Amino acid sequence: METAAIGVTPVIRKKLLIFLLDHIIELCLLVLIVALTIGADGFMTWANWMNILRANSLKGVIAIGMTMVMVAHLIDLSIGSVVGLSGVIVALACRDLPAQGISLNLATVIGMLICLVFAGGVGWMHGIFEHKFRLPSFIVTIATLNLLLGLAGRLSGGFPISNQFPEWYNMLGGGRIGGQNGIPIPVIALLVAFGIAWFVMGKTTTGRAMYAVGGNPESARLSGINVNKTKTIAFIIVQVLAVISGFMTSGQVMSGTFSFGKGWEMDVIAATVVGGTSFDGGVGTIWGTLVGVIFMGVIGNGMTLLNIDVHTQYIVKAVIMFLAVLLTSYRTRIKA
Amino acid sequence: MGTLHLRTENITKDYPGTRALDKVNITFESGKVNALVGKNGSGKSTLVKILAGAVIPTSGDFYLDDEKLHFSSTSDAYSKGIVTVYQEMSLIPGLSVAENIFLGRLPKKNMQIDWQKTYCMAEKLLQQMQVKIDPHTLVSRLSMWQMQVVEITKALSFKPKMIMLDEPTSALAQNEVQNLFTAIRALRDQGVIIVYVTHKLQELPQIADTVSVLRDGKLVDSVDMKDVSHKQIIHMMFGEVKIPTRPTNIKIGNDPVMQVKGFTSANWFKDVNFVLHRGEVLGIAGMLGSGRTELLRSLFGADPVDKGELIIEGKSYNKLNPIKMVKAGVGLTPEDRKTQGLILIHSIRDNLCYASMNLTADHWVENKARRNQFAERQVKELEIKTSNIDNLCNTLSGGNQQKVVVGNWLNTSPKIMLYDEPSRGIDVGAKQQIFEVIWEQARKGISTVFVSSELEELLEVCHRILIMRHGRIVDEVNPDNVKVNELYELCMRGD
Repeated sequence: METAAIGVTPVIRKKLLIFLLDHIIELCLLVLIVALTIGADGFMTWANWMNILRANSLKGVIAIGMTMVMVAHLIDLSIGSVVGLSGVIVALACRDLPAQGISLNLATVIGMLICLVFAGGVGWMHGIFEHKFRLPSFIVTIATLNLLLGLAGRLSGGFPISNQFPEWYNMLGGGRIGGQNGIPIPVIALLVAFGIAWFVMGKTTTGRAMYAVGGNPESARLSGINVNKTKTIAFIIVQVLAVISGFMTSGQVMSGTFSFGKGWEMDVIAATVVGGTSFDGGVGTIWGTLVGVIFMGVIGNGMTLLNIDVHTQYIVKAVIMFLAVLLTSYRTRIKA
Repeated sequence: MGTLHLRTENITKDYPGTRALDKVNITFESGKVNALVGKNGSGKSTLVKILAGAVIPTSGDFYLDDEKLHFSSTSDAYSKGIVTVYQEMSLIPGLSVAENIFLGRLPKKNMQIDWQKTYCMAEKLLQQMQVKIDPHTLVSRLSMWQMQVVEITKALSFKPKMIMLDEPTSALAQNEVQNLFTAIRALRDQGVIIVYVTHKLQELPQIADTVSVLRDGKLVDSVDMKDVSHKQIIHMMFGEVKIPTRPTNIKIGNDPVMQVKGFTSANWFKDVNFVLHRGEVLGIAGMLGSGRTELLRSLFGADPVDKGELIIEGKSYNKLNPIKMVKAGVGLTPEDRKTQGLILIHSIRDNLCYASMNLTADHWVENKARRNQFAERQVKELEIKTSNIDNLCNTLSGGNQQKVVVGNWLNTSPKIMLYDEPSRGIDVGAKQQIFEVIWEQARKGISTVFVSSELEELLEVCHRILIMRHGRIVDEVNPDNVKVNELYELCMRGD
């Protein structure tokens, strides 16, 4: 205490505090990893880590997009339904198109393209609802959540469509690079999505515009920033990432099931918020979200290894989310 | 019923650096409408706030009927029978007139709201005001003057001895004003002290019985309305006029940089035409509600217009929007910097580079070095006081925030700058710096349109001033040949 009082001015102390608050999630993750390495058998192994990452990258990919959407002060709650729907659409393409004389491989690619175009359209439509009709995205995307879930259910007849995909499709979700113990493809997808999004949000005018639009849309508009375009881009990106997650999910089990992804939106938002993205827009980083995804993955894995029952796991995750939200709002106030 | 008096004795209010009120002795009498006038910053709102209990005076006392009053909060003032009706409406649109009047103190019977009594009491009050408003009507269905009357009725329901009305007509149309006046006269005749704060001098002969003028925190005089002319009041408000300090070495080009043709927006302005020359600082003078802010926003494409053409350097523009106008070399510093000009939760650097985002980037990818260079340049040139451009914008003072708004635009190397009330809420030093910046830019050939409600500023800053009244440009004056009181009269004149 005595040394702190000498030579440390309030300004420096505040800077230290802000630095600490900015990196508290990383710090907590580090502490957690050390603790689990000591306390939980089988935690600090290559296989377990690959398992954590693979299991969480399916939602993690979407969390990357959700960060952009939330930074722009929007939300997309429909992503879970998009995951299920894309598996169903590709499965249907694989089942029905070969009868028309189209090869299975081509049919798969056509199915995937349809998904991407469709999701782009949904994102674009969310943009229209946002700026043409001025409806809150929270409400609009709840409607889309139900709409797409219903659509996926109707298309699939309510049953899983299994054994239709070509064999390579399994690689998307279940494949690994570097053999049996290699890096799972979904992890690669997460890292690629992270890299691109990190670049876009941190280094480009599009990213800058998203922060501006989320920070204060009127000031952004009066600075000549294209607010509508920026919001629409964010909406489209999160939808496309949800489709990619849908490919990987259906590929993993080789089945297009309409209920895949149901309820994922909450986990995705949780990881994003734990990573420091503000619900009020204008604040958040892609790096933070990546850390948030890994954090939530590690804590879930750790609790399973420690034989903590699933109900307690929910409670622990809830407490973490409370703390994360508190921290984010505290940090905003400290900086002012 | 005898007359009531409210009397102040040497009321003084000091703020850090300025004296807002200086030994003011003033008396307001019941049975009269006592007008309180003065230009911006004269201290009239400080006086109102003191009497309303919202501000505690540094020294001095005030008495209601010889009872010395001490207020430490607004509820103290209420309990002594002094109520204030502020400019901003406080009514709840979704509730009925009667509910609004008795909000928070609805009469109860057997634990339930006694609606019959509520409406009956409201009816009685409205009758006292001599207006025909059904107490069952939802407030959202009322016109502006009716809402203002309901506000006053609500004040009346507290059975006050004194009611202060702060600019009650500022949001009203001409014909609505008369209806409100009828209500105010009815109130006056019931023996309430009425203090009427306004800047609309043309209303005074109609409504005021006495007029008190404040200037620079001092009471200039309190007189009977029938004894003074319009001109005398204006003279009392402005006093001897000081000489403007505008530099003379700014050359105005002959070529028009911007031509505005037939700008019309149904609710705000009609058929506005003017020309802006290279290096010229053009002022637009007009009262609140004259359409000046709306015109400026429309020129920047922030709000749509019904009709009109804008020609910038020979190129015609229509269907304006901010994106187009930034590309055309136009910048706007909006009226409210916090909600329209800045992103307070972002850094000073970010805020200095938003409008120039495309210039600081190589196509799509941002150039960090250039962003720093752009930001540092403005910090240096505008003398923005900060230790670090990474600090958030909400750590800055008002004047420095305004400089950031200006710097954001100067980074775009604009040809035309539109300033909407750039000196609002900033200290004298920062104000002067911003004027210097405007002149410096003019020397470089940048043209400026300058809107301000502080008319002295316009005389100081501008080469030429357009007068705007009720949404039309009605006159043009040369600031060298006009005094501030004459300018004021031009803006106020009823037509």
